[in-house]
Amino acid sequence: MGLIKNIKSYSEGIQISADKKEILTSFLLNGFPTTKDEEWKYTSLKKVITNDYSIENKGEIIDSSIIEKYSLGFKNKIIFSDGKLINTPTIKGVSITGFSEFESATTDSILQLNKALSQNGFTISVDKNTVVENPIEILFFLTTENSFCQYRNQISIGENSEVKFVERIQNLNNSSSFINHFTQTNCAKNTKVEFNKIQNNTAESQLIDTVNVYQDQDSTCNINTLIFGGSFTRNNLNFEQNGSNCESNMNGVSVLNDNQLADNHTFVDHKSAHCRSNEMYKGVYLGHSKGVFNGKIMVRPNAQKIDAFQSNNNLLLSDNSSIDSKPQLEIYADDVKCSHGCTIGQLDDDALFYMRSRGIGIEEAKAVLTYAFASEAIENISVEQVKTLAKNLLAQKLNVDLDFSL
Amino acid sequence: MSEQKRQSEDKLLEKVTSTEYKYGFTTEIESDTIPKGLSEDVVRIISAKKNEPEWMLEYRLKAYRAWLEMEEPNWANINYTKPNYQEIIYYSAPKQKPVLDSLDDLDPEMKAMFDKLGISIGEQNKLANVAVDLVMDSVSVATSFKETLAEKGIIFCPISDAIQDHPELVQKYLGSVVPARDNFFSALNAAVFSDGSFCYIPKGVKCPMELSTYFRINEAGTGQFERTLLIADEGSQVSYLEGCTAPMRDENQLHAAVVELIAMDDANIKYSTVQNWYPGNAEGVGGVFNFVTKRGICHKNAKISWTQVETGSAITWKYPSCILKGDNSIGEFFSVAVTNNMQQNDTGTKMIHLGKNTKSTIIAKGISAGKSEGNYRGLVRISKGATNSRNFSQCDSLLMGDKCGAHTFPYIEVKNNSSKVEHEATTSKIGEDQIFYCNQRGIGTEAAIALIVNGYCKDVLNQLPMEFAVEAQKLLEISLEGSVG
Repeated sequence: MGLIKNIKSYSEGIQISADKKEILTSFLLNGFPTTKDEEWKYTSLKKVITNDYSIENKGEIIDSSIIEKYSLGFKNKIIFSDGKLINTPTIKGVSITGFSEFESATTDSILQLNKALSQNGFTISVDKNTVVENPIEILFFLTTENSFCQYRNQISIGENSEVKFVERIQNLNNSSSFINHFTQTNCAKNTKVEFNKIQNNTAESQLIDTVNVYQDQDSTCNINTLIFGGSFTRNNLNFEQNGSNCESNMNGVSVLNDNQLADNHTFVDHKSAHCRSNEMYKGVYLGHSKGVFNGKIMVRPNAQKIDAFQSNNNLLLSDNSSIDSKPQLEIYADDVKCSHGCTIGQLDDDALFYMRSRGIGIEEAKAVLTYAFASEAIENISVEQVKTLAKNLLAQKLNVDLDFSL
Repeated sequence: MSEQKRQSEDKLLEKVTSTEYKYGFTTEIESDTIPKGLSEDVVRIISAKKNEPEWMLEYRLKAYRAWLEMEEPNWANINYTKPNYQEIIYYSAPKQKPVLDSLDDLDPEMKAMFDKLGISIGEQNKLANVAVDLVMDSVSVATSFKETLAEKGIIFCPISDAIQDHPELVQKYLGSVVPARDNFFSALNAAVFSDGSFCYIPKGVKCPMELSTYFRINEAGTGQFERTLLIADEGSQVSYLEGCTAPMRDENQLHAAVVELIAMDDANIKYSTVQNWYPGNAEGVGGVFNFVTKRGICHKNAKISWTQVETGSAITWKYPSCILKGDNSIGEFFSVAVTNNMQQNDTGTKMIHLGKNTKSTIIAKGISAGKSEGNYRGLVRISKGATNSRNFSQCDSLLMGDKCGAHTFPYIEVKNNSSKVEHEATTSKIGEDQIFYCNQRGIGTEAAIALIVNGYCKDVLNQLPMEFAVEAQKLLEISLEGSVG
């Protein structure tokens, strides 16, 4: 039948408002993006959407041992089971509730679908002048087989506040799943926010994760993306800098094997003067995996004194892996410093030889070099537990025991 | 930046925009034109006027029919009013075809025009050792050095002559690199091209001189559809120069050329372009639409090197490309693209790596001033079989003034794990500290900017043959006059 038909029959059975209906009609008319769409040129959704999915999900109770297994051990946990919010922590100065309606851009059909039909997600608002000491951990569990689940989250951070998030989506069975995840974040003046996305789901999991960040002056927003698992992962990170002295940082590490596909799309819209953005994406590709990177930096007229830096480095370590990279600069102001660099290559033979001649096995030598390659981006993560997890997952994926203390 | 400094810079930029196009003039020569518009009949008339064989007419008609089904592309980052293809005159030739025996037989008016452009054939014949195949509108009027070249077995002639004299070569290679159906403009070109150059370098021959062609658009409202076919047979070597200037016109003129290069095993082709067509006035009125398809194919151990200096045209839309088919082949692309006033530029290259150990280098330098937009759009594709292939790309943009834009759209596709690809791009303006450094040492701001821009473009200008390097530098100066000395 395919997902579109699942969505059609699901939507016929529920009541939605007139404007949502309009958006849904528009989605059904356009359908999912195809490779003819410039933003989806290298990433085909065809296989993802031909499967059948169940849209109404049960939301089973999750055993605490399972939560423990996938948690990084933070005190403050928000837990979802199949879209249902089953646990919210109490944090001073932070209000955490379930799904609520909010206005958002519907720039592509994925966001249209999310806006029209999503009923799940969280709403977080952080008061002014609040520093949340411990990171807030958000766990999304899937228990239903072959489920299609949509999340729609909104975060508002009050002036001068600071908060960190650690997000993880976990399928608890081995069936195929598809998640359309959307988070809208509003950063008020002088706020600091960090997102850590751990994307290490089961082999048949598919994810489209869109984050729209709207930044006011003096705010800093960091998003770290770690892609290790899942068969299909597409990340859309969109930053809009609406005040001066904003900073947007992105770090990404993808280590893929088998038939995995990871697509990182980033867009930084520099609308105000005196702002900065930094992007560092590292990809390691094994097996038949495929990587896609599309980084766009836009500097609007009059947004002078912008420093924008973007780098995308890739290691192709197997015969059948491939990478498509498209770094873009669109600059309409003259007093800026913008650069992007992209490299695609292999491990240095000389370095490998050097290590082997000193008694380090080929696999370990490769792992050490690969680790060194990826660590530049991992080191930018400020949450220790996430950093350690990233290192462990990297070693696991490379099939070695990295002995030195990481 | 201090307000004063900003003002003085604005003044410099203003001076730039007020510099009139130096080569804007028209020569009045009686032309034999056909009514405007495009139909199957027009294609037949063009073919008949050129007295072409049946297969050529078939080729044109097929291309025309394909064109009818195509849509004009609009993916490039440029804005323009699409030309009305029924308002264009598709064929015009000077009425009296000048006798080629000696240069004295040239139409005096035409000769004066070439002198004005600084291409005195007589002088060049003697001094520069350059064979010039002049294309005036659509028909070649003078071909020199033909005999010297003939001795070596080199064929260098208008493509219409080649169709008559060497049909086997033309039939074999025409459309082999850029098929008529390739894109909207190549189909249009294949249907209506009236002339262009043809060059064949036989096996093992090193062409003793730089081959050069000048293109001019002369008749108002005449679209010029040049077709260039260059074949370098096994082990041969050739350096080809192409340059163009066009007279000042108020209506947009369309130029949709196709250039095909074929480098057989071990051959080496160097193709250089200096383009300085009328860019339109400061308000963006008039100017040439330059929609060009340029592509070369490299067989084993062959090398194709594209060098371009783009300063003219209201809109430039071209991507000289290399298909690196043979093992160990090399593709190069060096480009300086200057836009000023209302000019728009969407240019770059495609490097398609198919063979083993193939190498490509891309150096693209963009300079945007006034209210212009410069785009770099490039593709590097490493296919699965292209083991040990290598690419290095660098595309830099320099912004002068706060109303211009510079954009880069590189596409990198790698399907091979033994290949290395590097890409870097930067966008910046001339640093205040750099200018300060020069000022401090007694170099005026204007001279300092000139110095910096020249240094910035040096990597590309160095690639040009001597004859062109001087002209290119002149063009850069004219294009950015005021801010760049």
